[in-house]
Amino acid sequence: MKKKPVSDERLNRVIRYLAIALLTLAVVFMAVQFSDVWNWIIAAFKAVIVPVALAWIFALIMFPLIRYLEKKGIGPRGLSLAIVFVITVGIIFALFYFVTPFLVTEITNFFNDDFQTILTYLTTDLRDDFILGTDIYDRIYDYVTETDLLNTWLDETMPNLLTSLSSFMLPLLTAIAIMPILLLYYLLDYEMIGERLRSIIPQRHEKRVAELGSRLNQTVGAYIRGQLLLMLAIGTVATIVYKLIGLKYYFVFGVLVGLTNIIPYFGTILAAVPPIVYSFIAGGSPGPLLVLLVNVVLQFIEGNIFQPIIMAHQLEMHPLVIIISILFFGSLFGALGVIFASPIAASIRVFYTFFKEQRQLSLQPEGGGGEKSP
Amino acid sequence: MIPAKRSKIHSEFEIRMILFYATMLLLIPNVLVVTYLFDIDQRVDIIEFIFWLLIGTLALSAIGTAILFMRRDFLKRRVKPTYRGEFIYLLFISAFGLLGIAVLYDYLGGNRQYIANVLIVVFALMLYILIMLGRRYFKFEYMGKK
Repeated sequence: MKKKPVSDERLNRVIRYLAIALLTLAVVFMAVQFSDVWNWIIAAFKAVIVPVALAWIFALIMFPLIRYLEKKGIGPRGLSLAIVFVITVGIIFALFYFVTPFLVTEITNFFNDDFQTILTYLTTDLRDDFILGTDIYDRIYDYVTETDLLNTWLDETMPNLLTSLSSFMLPLLTAIAIMPILLLYYLLDYEMIGERLRSIIPQRHEKRVAELGSRLNQTVGAYIRGQLLLMLAIGTVATIVYKLIGLKYYFVFGVLVGLTNIIPYFGTILAAVPPIVYSFIAGGSPGPLLVLLVNVVLQFIEGNIFQPIIMAHQLEMHPLVIIISILFFGSLFGALGVIFASPIAASIRVFYTFFKEQRQLSLQPEGGGGEKSP
Repeated sequence: MIPAKRSKIHSEFEIRMILFYATMLLLIPNVLVVTYLFDIDQRVDIIEFIFWLLIGTLALSAIGTAILFMRRDFLKRRVKPTYRGEFIYLLFISAFGLLGIAVLYDYLGGNRQYIANVLIVVFALMLYILIMLGRRYFKFEYMGKK
């Protein structure tokens, strides 16, 4: 059978794609040659983006409250903003004032009463309880002592950890210091900033970009507000249930459940491990099985009752997509990437759905409005 | 054609009535959750505290009922297609109320061994009431996946 000749149109398309790929590679190559300059520019951008992004996230939480007050006739903007600001600062202050003493007391008690017991267990009693048998335990123990594995690992990790912590904390602290001022001005001129941003966009794209922006705002806003509500609820419920079952250090473990709830799937495991391990080592009441049961029930109720209603299916994604995005964005942006993996993935989905809709609209015959003629 | 079995659309008056009385019913358990969490029960006489809380709740109930009936005509004219935000509020006070009932049981000297039993029974009852209210008044089925 004779082969069909390649059409000119197809050939042109292939050449065009190849040219684009080559040009992209050339740009990347050039960029790599000037990596110092790029690092300098990226650092400058980072210094701006972190506080701006934080201010934007806080604005997504606070602006609906300001709008609510204005709807109720509490205005002008300055007054409603001042009320919301004072309430927010008051809540943050109260949280620190009432919660911190509990946390400090429990952590101090842990190091005074139980830390030594746990250390003794790990070095002596663990051998008898080791699930793979005492022989395997002895071999692992000998290997670790002979190779000085733990000390080598600590020597290698600690300096890196301290460097990365300082490089992460310093911009974050600067951002936290600048953020309230940025937030104040952003909320004061919320609509005007939106209008100015819209005016930059060419007129023929303005409507579509505004629609996309509003969808992104809605998705990320819904995620942040819903997640905060869930964290608060699940943290409080876990603290009370832990106290009811008689678990020591219930406050620290409960706060841990609330904080790690921001990481989908992995957060649950991260929060459940410390109380289960503690109750296993410390013995007495409650047993590790009961603590595990409490965690499973809490997560079941949160995942099947609270989350679907609060998030309203706005961020409903396949678990695999969420896990892959956590791994990907976690490796790209570190801890912040893990925390914001879900909203970033949801935003990408918003982009994808939007462009798909636009493509479908452009393919429809003009004036038809997508309806079938009778 | 209008279907014969149309679900009734409820006004904001009915929704606010439900929310208000649910809040009043669960106010004591919700406050007790906070006292339990921050160990306030160790600083005050908790039975006396519950007594004053009960009196406060009764007073609030009377004032709230009067206000609701004064605004009855206005609220009767307001209707929303779904009451999602209101249902989330009800869900939250019910969740904390459930825990508060367990705390109340503990404060009133109930045997700690049976706390789980109390929780399960009250949870089942609350879940049934919430589903029923959600379907009938808050248009719960509209919130599901489309």
